[in-house]
Amino acid sequence: MSGTNPLEHVVQHPIKEIPLDAGLLTPEGVVTLMSDHIAMTILAGLVLCLLLPLALRRSRKSGEGVDRLVTTGFAGAIEAICEYLRKEVAEPTLGEHTDRFIKYVWSLFFFVLTINLLGMLPIGVITPLAFGVHIGGTATGNIWVTGTLAVMTLLMMVINGLRLGKVEYLKHFCPGPWWMAPILVPVEIAGLLAKAFALAVRLFANMLAGHLILAVLLGFILSAGSVSTGAGLGVAIPAVLGSVGISLLELFVAFLQAFIFTFLTTLFIGMSVVFHHDDHEEATAH
Amino acid sequence: MKTMQIKSQKGSQSTVGAAVAPVAAVAASAVAALGAAGPAFAASGGEENIFSGNLGNAVWTLVVFGTVLFVLGKYAWGPLLDVLQKREQFIHDSLAEAKEDRDQAESRLAEYTSRLQEARGEASKIVEEGRRDAEVVKARIDEEAREEARKVLDRAKREIEVAKQTAIKELYTSSATLATEMASRILRKELSAAEREKLVARSLDELDQFDTN
Repeated sequence: MSGTNPLEHVVQHPIKEIPLDAGLLTPEGVVTLMSDHIAMTILAGLVLCLLLPLALRRSRKSGEGVDRLVTTGFAGAIEAICEYLRKEVAEPTLGEHTDRFIKYVWSLFFFVLTINLLGMLPIGVITPLAFGVHIGGTATGNIWVTGTLAVMTLLMMVINGLRLGKVEYLKHFCPGPWWMAPILVPVEIAGLLAKAFALAVRLFANMLAGHLILAVLLGFILSAGSVSTGAGLGVAIPAVLGSVGISLLELFVAFLQAFIFTFLTTLFIGMSVVFHHDDHEEATAH
Repeated sequence: MKTMQIKSQKGSQSTVGAAVAPVAAVAASAVAALGAAGPAFAASGGEENIFSGNLGNAVWTLVVFGTVLFVLGKYAWGPLLDVLQKREQFIHDSLAEAKEDRDQAESRLAEYTSRLQEARGEASKIVEEGRRDAEVVKARIDEEAREEARKVLDRAKREIEVAKQTAIKELYTSSATLATEMASRILRKELSAAEREKLVARSLDELDQFDTN
């Protein structure tokens, strides 16, 4: 491809890394200590840790009695999302365990959402000029980030399954008669890992794809521009309009994928900790 | 411009930025920057790998998410969950209370309705009774009035009778006196006063006899 490679806009750009060999965990023989994706992850963390407590505190610093139960302003929006996740997503699957896991569920949703949305900021264009380093990009477009989140979900499933379900949870791995165990147990374990794997890949691929399309669309302008200025301008108009449309779609996808990741995590945890003795159906949510 | 320098280093599109019209320059340079800034920081070199990343990303993600979970759990989700649970309880209590109130109101309404019906029945009974009493009183008053009228009539008749008798008696007396006077005058013989009295008394006796007949 002449000019730029669209992949350059979506992959991680390391700022500081040290050589270290940890086998599969360091495929390139290095550990990245700081990169644009890591910076965006930290930024998302800061935004969440500052914004949400402030928003939720301000809304009910005054008022007595019933007033304390009424939320106003931005906190109302946060609360509406949280209430929805709690009542419509968590409660049907987690049941009595809802409030045990709800803080994790809420944190996960807002963490993924914030990273997704921050990835929509075109600050990757400005930061090299302002700070000399590239900061920007979508950290959830990094399989190592989504993979980590998926592994956390996997651990939540297994650890809480064992903690709350004990033998009941282990029985889950052999839903048939005992002599079927040699076949069923590996299949169940594979299914467990597949859930986490699908979770990681789904978020990663969705966030990567949108930004890749944007990069390709805008790359057309440069490709056409290298032929002639007129061609570059001619291509620029539909390309920019198209990228605006894709950006709007991306905003929607940012919310959608954050919700799907959270929803499936909740569903999977629910499958591990809530036991129905009569049916052992596995939800096929891939 | 730095972006231009970067681009000329790449040596692929050095003519683009320079020739673009001023109006389009801003947009084009932004796009160019987007395109050019990337490779300058692809420090690891080689081909771009969409799976690029390593243990560092995982550890950072864990650390940041852990911090978010802790901080939000303490300062955002805790209070929020508290409010949600309290509100849930409040709504539940309010609804239960409202239901209880409504049930109470309904039973009270039924009670009052039956009481009202009772009162209405009683009232109509009282009116009926009153009407009956009134009828009785009316009949009695009628009867008494008739009685009274009859009495008055009887008394009047008696008084007329008495007056008539008196008148007759008076007429008789005066006519007897007149007659004896005329008779004595005719006879030119004056009766003594005593004789005249005697004569009158006899005439009256005769009248009484006549009257009793």
